[in-house]
Amino acid sequence: MDPECSQLLPALCSVLADPRQPVADDTCLEKLLDWFKTITEAGSSLLLLQENPCLLGLLCHVLKPQDLSPRVLSFSLRLAGMLAAQEDCFQYLQQGELLPRLFGEAGPLGGAAWTAPSVRSGWIQGLRSLARHPSALCFLADCGAVDTIFSLQGDSSLFVASAAGQLLVHILGLSLQGPAEGHPGLQTGDWPVCAQKIVSHIEESLRSAATPQITQALNVLTTTFGHCHDPWTQVLWGRLSPLVACLLEKDPVPAAHSLVDLLLSVARSPVLSSSSSGLWETLAQTLSHLSPTQAGPLALGILKLQECPQVLRAQAFAVLLQPLTCVLEATAQAPGLLDSLDGTGGASVTVDTLLPSKAACVGLLCRTLAHLELLQPLPQRPSPWPQAPLLGATVTILRLCSGSATPTSDAGGHLCAFLVGCVRVQRAALDFLGTLSQGTGPRELVTQVFAVLLEYLTSPDSSPTVLKKAFQATFRWLQSSPETPGCSDLDPHAHLFLRELLPVLPKRLCSPCWEVRDSGLEFLTQMIGRWGGQAGFRRALLASEVPELTEQLLRDPESYVRASAVAAMGQLSSQGLRVTPASPEHPGGQQKSLLAELLHILSTDSEGFPRRAVMHVFTQWLRDGHADVAGDTERFVARVLQVASQDLDWEVRAQGLELALVFLEQTLGRPSSHCPYAVTPPVAAPPSSLAQALRPLCRVQLFEFAFRALFDCDRPVAQKSCDLLLFLRAQTASYGGPQGSGSVPEVASVEAALQRWQAGDQGQPLGYLEPEVVVAVLRSMDLEGLRGALAESSDRVEKSPQSLLQDVLATVGALGEDEADCY
Amino acid sequence: MPEIRVTPLGAGQDVGRSCILVSIGGKNVMLDCGMHMGFNDDRRFPDFSYITRNGRLTDFLDCVIISHFHLDHCGALPYFSEMVGYDGPIYMTHPTQAICPILLEDYRKIAVDKKGEANFFTSQMIKDCMKKVVAVHLHQTVQVDDELEIKAYYAGHVLGAAMFQIKVGSESVVYTGDYNMTPDRHLGAAWIDKCRPNLLITESTYATTIRDSKRCRERDFLKKVHEAVERGGKVLIPVFALGRAQELCILLETFWERMNLKAPIYFSTGLTEKANHYYKLFITWTNQKIRKTFVQRNMFEFKHIKAFDRAFADNPGPMVVFATPGMLHAGQSLQIFRKWAGNEKNMVIMPGYCVQGTVGHKILSGQRKLEMEGRQVLEVKMQVEYMSFSAHADAKGIMQLVGQAEPESVLLVHGEAKKMEFLKQKIEQEFRLLPDAKKPRLLHGTLIMKDSNFRLVSSEQALKELGLAEHQLRFTCRVHLHDPRKEQETAMRVYSHLKSVLKEHCVQHLPDGSVTVESILIQAAAHSEDPGTKVLLVSWTYQDEELGSHLTSLLKKGLPQAAS
Repeated sequence: MDPECSQLLPALCSVLADPRQPVADDTCLEKLLDWFKTITEAGSSLLLLQENPCLLGLLCHVLKPQDLSPRVLSFSLRLAGMLAAQEDCFQYLQQGELLPRLFGEAGPLGGAAWTAPSVRSGWIQGLRSLARHPSALCFLADCGAVDTIFSLQGDSSLFVASAAGQLLVHILGLSLQGPAEGHPGLQTGDWPVCAQKIVSHIEESLRSAATPQITQALNVLTTTFGHCHDPWTQVLWGRLSPLVACLLEKDPVPAAHSLVDLLLSVARSPVLSSSSSGLWETLAQTLSHLSPTQAGPLALGILKLQECPQVLRAQAFAVLLQPLTCVLEATAQAPGLLDSLDGTGGASVTVDTLLPSKAACVGLLCRTLAHLELLQPLPQRPSPWPQAPLLGATVTILRLCSGSATPTSDAGGHLCAFLVGCVRVQRAALDFLGTLSQGTGPRELVTQVFAVLLEYLTSPDSSPTVLKKAFQATFRWLQSSPETPGCSDLDPHAHLFLRELLPVLPKRLCSPCWEVRDSGLEFLTQMIGRWGGQAGFRRALLASEVPELTEQLLRDPESYVRASAVAAMGQLSSQGLRVTPASPEHPGGQQKSLLAELLHILSTDSEGFPRRAVMHVFTQWLRDGHADVAGDTERFVARVLQVASQDLDWEVRAQGLELALVFLEQTLGRPSSHCPYAVTPPVAAPPSSLAQALRPLCRVQLFEFAFRALFDCDRPVAQKSCDLLLFLRAQTASYGGPQGSGSVPEVASVEAALQRWQAGDQGQPLGYLEPEVVVAVLRSMDLEGLRGALAESSDRVEKSPQSLLQDVLATVGALGEDEADCY
Repeated sequence: MPEIRVTPLGAGQDVGRSCILVSIGGKNVMLDCGMHMGFNDDRRFPDFSYITRNGRLTDFLDCVIISHFHLDHCGALPYFSEMVGYDGPIYMTHPTQAICPILLEDYRKIAVDKKGEANFFTSQMIKDCMKKVVAVHLHQTVQVDDELEIKAYYAGHVLGAAMFQIKVGSESVVYTGDYNMTPDRHLGAAWIDKCRPNLLITESTYATTIRDSKRCRERDFLKKVHEAVERGGKVLIPVFALGRAQELCILLETFWERMNLKAPIYFSTGLTEKANHYYKLFITWTNQKIRKTFVQRNMFEFKHIKAFDRAFADNPGPMVVFATPGMLHAGQSLQIFRKWAGNEKNMVIMPGYCVQGTVGHKILSGQRKLEMEGRQVLEVKMQVEYMSFSAHADAKGIMQLVGQAEPESVLLVHGEAKKMEFLKQKIEQEFRLLPDAKKPRLLHGTLIMKDSNFRLVSSEQALKELGLAEHQLRFTCRVHLHDPRKEQETAMRVYSHLKSVLKEHCVQHLPDGSVTVESILIQAAAHSEDPGTKVLLVSWTYQDEELGSHLTSLLKKGLPQAAS
């Protein structure tokens, strides 16, 4: 602890101990504990106590009967636990009988303060920190803490109850660390008393008729087996697994969700899964006992296991597929599909039993689709993967939702009535359909996929969120379409789809919902990025109204849409797809006006998003050598930097520096690559002298922008500028020869300006700077030092412990009624 | 009693990261999804582990409802939807939907700028999150699914703030969010009908306080600004982009106009244009005065308040600058503060709460020597003032709302435990929330005869058991008035008249133009044949029968002539 904090600590302790001086808010106490945690983890707690006796004074003081706030009491309990985590300090505190008075029956536990959840929580957290060594275990046994923890498992405060369960797991692990580790064969009867007590409690809870108690026991076991893979867990599971299996005999199965979690935790444990002979049978039994909704997560968990018997995997997969099988059956799909989807080959369930009501049907289908979506990309997914039936089922569900399916059976009719217009199922099905694009399918089914996607994209009933997902799924399917051999164009099939899709897009770009317009533009940008260079796509796009409408959206009232339109127009222009109806083959005539339009957005748009999008497009254009930019690069860079440097949004200014860096690299050459095999793109022949090299940078006033940005009030801008100037300085060094020979008065004037900017003054612009002056200034600056200072977050001073202590002390009595408020 | 489970994941007995999970009739609804500015780590967001351990979020939760745009109520939303993985619907009012992304973006920029946090939600995530939002109108019953419906009520507090009723079958919960029962300079007072929910979850920030008149605080504020400007000083007012900033702008603008002051007032954020745009767009959400004067002059088109340029801070002479962020913890406001702090003629006015660790908090607690970066010490000589313009209901207001909604039970959140305990007793004393046979009620219970058994149950229980929906009988009456003005103006006249006559009753003019007196609803409509006549459609419930008759007879007498 530094001396300043040590000096402030006694005052802090007396403030905390004084009920008449309430501490402003809980965050201060939390942060104080964070600080003590850092100190105790780094050094001796005993020394801390001895050097700061006020801490001990505080702990003793809170025990006196008084009207102390629950938050200070909770703080003290947590602090005491933290200090007692080290055994020598624990002994020291024990000498004064302080710990039993804090954590035993005589302490807050028996008092009125115990009614405050924060005190109970502090008590648990204190013990959690304290329980680190054998002496602590004896203490817990002696003071009867374990019984209190048992009762706190059912606490009315959710967080207290959860923490109590965690603490039991911790104590069980700690008590078995020594004895059972050395003797893996040791049976529970030979375990330490504390551990035996916990095991008996768990057994009792598992035998209980009350579901909350069973849940608590199952949760404790789940956490134990999830965190600890020591051999003793094997002994414990061996003893408790029959009781767990008994739960399956009850109807309904109690605490099914927690039971599933436990069984999966056991199955994932390397120690338990390899040794436990009955585990797979229990899992199989559970799968068949639970309702379809409860069994889904278990089935998914089983299928995600690395090692698992094939029969169980097949059973789990069948459970997972059941709802989809049911859908296919109800809508009378081809029997071939059914066979391959339902691995059990018979005994198929009916819609009435599996999907009896709308709520049950919607819930189960959403869950099933989500589970399959998670499973699809995993290497351990079932093989063969029934891609075709899954595609068929998903397409069918989507059709049932849109109302385009015409089921003939009663069951199909029921399903249709449940699902029609259901946005939740539509979203889940479209997500899964997108994931299925990773695999292949029969041509006929792929045609159906595109047809249903088109149906959703066209339908006026599709909600904005559904449309967004339909766009995403469409892009994924188009991306996965096989390319025509030899010409890397879209396959004819996808092409046909595209021809139908492009007339739909304009309608979406004109939607009254900004969400739809934006999703449409995002989709378009992705499409151009992927197929902008391909003849078929280009022809189809140019024949549509899409480019024209996109340009109109640059003036959309919604800023998000304007930003997306800027990105789309940037792509269109880069690919030479921005045309006017009059001259479709000569887009060049209008290109300049797009540059002007984007510059206009950059200088006038009241929102940051479109301005940032413009900067992104400009940087990309400069990087790619876009025709407009290449014509007069210097003029372009100068204009953009001038506008960007004035922007109130620091991200625009930072992007300005990004653009400056690209220009710098293009002018001076990229940073040298160390890889001898790296392909170096062709760059302009390097200028012969440094001055010649720097002159274009000086002409675009890049240095004034960068120097000013160095002292920007927003840290990322200053950081970026610092990096840029360091790169520049390194580059200038490679030129060799006499450098930095600028005239002394000029250098001094720039340095004076830099000092003014650092002090926060704006001052007059520097105007044109000679390259020699720039180099001299660069040399004289401590850029490395500045970079180091900027690397630290700008609130580090305010975050320091000293600042925290000062704040707590200063706040006492200073804040009135508005000590807490919204923001 | 129906089982309604309420789990506060944040702001149970404190303020910050409001997030309350309500389970009602088998449906799970998350009310607000806020962040805590006092922390920079995981603790800044609510603890979602309780929900995530129940399986997939989107399956578990039926919807998320956001009460208003303050970050302690919506700041964790992009994190929750884009990083934790909630993919279902999010409901909020139209103004909240419009303003929320601005504040989230502001917050993101500060987090990334100041703390250099890389693992933070991005602009794209904010946008994707906002695309999941379904905007609702006031008093519109929105069917989330076949069983769950929600309805928004006006809450005052900030533009677009709403209280929400969540209803599944005959069970219902009302969540207030933050609300204000007294109108302020730009917003009206919160209002709810006698919806008699099973549970009212109400904020209790000022559970033990009866707040002084806001007018006094406003006068004080103007006096202080005026004095500083008169002595040639510069006044810095750190604000968040939306909310209090607009209120203070109106205040200064009017004062400057009245006093013919010449010192410039600047707004530095660049966001003001958009903020003011929204106040104009959602004018129906503001209070009557603003709506009324809107016809002659838009209150948000400021004559004296100009956009700020960084170079202006060095200009000589007095000026007033509104700068973000509001706690002096980064960016422009901090930069200007550092520049002006050394001059005792200058003044900084903190119009809101500051969390520990910010410069705002330090100067408010009286610290005058601040250690800045590079071990520099900044001596604060400028005058430091704190003006609370906080717009929460005080104890009286909370009691008033409980009286309006007539809930079966009340749950206090968003406040301090000790203060809540006090208010709890007050509410119990005043309303006797436990069933009391002596208290006159419309219906004490229902006798059910079934299987040769008689059982006396509550009416709610009877409705549930018999699978019936509640019907409400309303008396209706038409009153013809000779008035050639437009319907809105007629309704306005009716409101003014009733307000002056029925002083002891709660008379409200709703954003949709209708007027309410307790449960009585009055709407003005044009006469189909006679343009010079307006028809007042009056309806009232059985409980307010007497008042309803009295009111119709009053209206039948006609309205007083307006002074010309």
